[in-house]
Amino acid sequence: MSFFRVMKAEVVRSFIIMRRYWFRTLTGMVIGYGMLMVLIAGFIYSKGGAGDKISQFDNPAAATNFVLGFIIGMFAFGVVGMFTQGLQSMATTGVLEQLCMSPHGLAVNFMAQTMVGAVSTIISSGILVYAVTWSVGGMLHWDMFPILVLLTLTFFNLVGFGFMVGGLVLVFKQVGQIAIIVRMVLFALAVFAREEILNQPWPLRLFLHMLPITDATISIKYVLSGGQMVEKITASGETIQEFSSVFTHPSFYWLIASCIVWTVVGLTVFRILEDYSRSKGTLGSY
Amino acid sequence: MSEEVLVELRHVHKKFTTRHVLPVDEETRKRRLFKKRDVHAAKDISFTIRRGEIFGLLGPNGAGKTTAVKMISGLVRPDSGNVFVNGLDVEKKRRRILRMVGVVLEGTRTSLWPLTPLENLIYYGTLKDVPGALLRPRAHDLLDFIGLKDKKNIQVRRLSRGQKQKLAICIALIADPQVLLLDEPTTGLDVLSGRAIKDKVMEMTREQGRSVLVTTHDMHVAQELCDRIAIINNGEMIACRRTDELLDLFSEQVFVFKLNQPIDPSEFSLIPGIVSAKMEEGSEGPALVVQVVREPETLRSEALYAVPARLRQSGCLLHAVSQRQQNLESVFLHLTDSAVTR
Repeated sequence: MSFFRVMKAEVVRSFIIMRRYWFRTLTGMVIGYGMLMVLIAGFIYSKGGAGDKISQFDNPAAATNFVLGFIIGMFAFGVVGMFTQGLQSMATTGVLEQLCMSPHGLAVNFMAQTMVGAVSTIISSGILVYAVTWSVGGMLHWDMFPILVLLTLTFFNLVGFGFMVGGLVLVFKQVGQIAIIVRMVLFALAVFAREEILNQPWPLRLFLHMLPITDATISIKYVLSGGQMVEKITASGETIQEFSSVFTHPSFYWLIASCIVWTVVGLTVFRILEDYSRSKGTLGSY
Repeated sequence: MSEEVLVELRHVHKKFTTRHVLPVDEETRKRRLFKKRDVHAAKDISFTIRRGEIFGLLGPNGAGKTTAVKMISGLVRPDSGNVFVNGLDVEKKRRRILRMVGVVLEGTRTSLWPLTPLENLIYYGTLKDVPGALLRPRAHDLLDFIGLKDKKNIQVRRLSRGQKQKLAICIALIADPQVLLLDEPTTGLDVLSGRAIKDKVMEMTREQGRSVLVTTHDMHVAQELCDRIAIINNGEMIACRRTDELLDLFSEQVFVFKLNQPIDPSEFSLIPGIVSAKMEEGSEGPALVVQVVREPETLRSEALYAVPARLRQSGCLLHAVSQRQQNLESVFLHLTDSAVTR
């Protein structure tokens, strides 16, 4: 109940700002589209010699994969950023202390803010992904149910991770600067994540699984880009495409596991460090 | 003002550890980047605030005033001691207490600048659990009360500093708290805005029965507003009295005798009970300023009677006698100076 009241306040606030600054929202999306198209062109043209360029365009799957990775990376960058740079700027302006004095508590306020932010990011990213993939001639498989499940799990995965980093920022404000590097790593991982990168020795593989974005990206790409189809070789040696639900994919289970781990760890660490920062008096400092 | 205690700080201690960058050690040529130092923000602080009272916390910068406010609002946890609001321990019942306390912290951007004052009040009111049916009428009433009615639909970023401060007070009042904590409410404001805020603080205390804690280093604000004042310095409380009592602390010692001509003050210093005597030349002519002992009272009276007699002997005409009124500034300086020299 408490959470929904905060959520309502956040939805109204975001809607007012979005409506009031509609031109900024619109230009943001146009700039995002332009940036992605330039990046894709650069990505494709940087591969191979001049003769290969046209054939790269003929195979838009790679571009679609890249676009998806880019958007998921931006999403991860943004969500974790709300807990780091967002929190730092709130401390600077004094809004953080106001939120701490809300009877609902800082964690609930943050969760609601992030959720509202994430929903608007997902909507605008969805439009952007559609526009860019259509432009490069790619195709996305909008299988809504698995996509919604995957996005929800990805969100909580990132929020859990964000809460942990955010808790550290509450006590040690300089962590916010280091967090930029962490966000860049998540972004890069999302752009290049594919099943092949998990073919590593087990400690590295485990580390990749535990990062909040690896399996999320692989699963989302599997649905949106691959259409949940896998290649199978029949008894006659023929290669066929067969439907295999993402819910049976190993990355999906890893995603659930890391989601649970990060949510529990993140919220626990955040609550402990919020308490510690009250003792240290660092809530309002920056 | 009622006798009911709404806020109580009981033997509160708070210490912060700060780090200082050190220069290179000349002898060892080694550099220790930081040196930790303990800063006491509260040393055994105890006071109470009654219902309908304006209580002032006075002290120089870094004395621990803001820390006291933050401890009452649960933003800072005391190392030891207890803070109670309406009989509830802040550490144990923090969320319940946050519904009873409204806070305006100094120099912070409490409000959200892209929103209008009305939207800000609706936003913070929802966060503070104000029921939907009450929220909008209360927001309008508050804006009307504080004098921002005609600015309710203008983005906060376009408001002046004084108007933003008024809005911050409205935000603190949106949940109708019994206790209002104002940290330096008039700092940086022009005379008119400062006056308006002081009037509103008076009104909400006298007419609405709230308790208000004001921290300030502006003596005029404290002297005008507060029923009682606590002076703190380096985290230590060096006085806590009614404002008039505090002003009386030193005022009875100094008397001004306005004369028709200057006179040698040294002979007055010899009178038993007189601490010092000096001549001052003011716009209304020469004046003999005499400081007498506070106690014993008989000695003080005799000394005061002796001065006119001595003046008459010297052929000096006495125009008027007055007791020099102390202002809070001199009291404050006297108290903080003696705290430093102690």
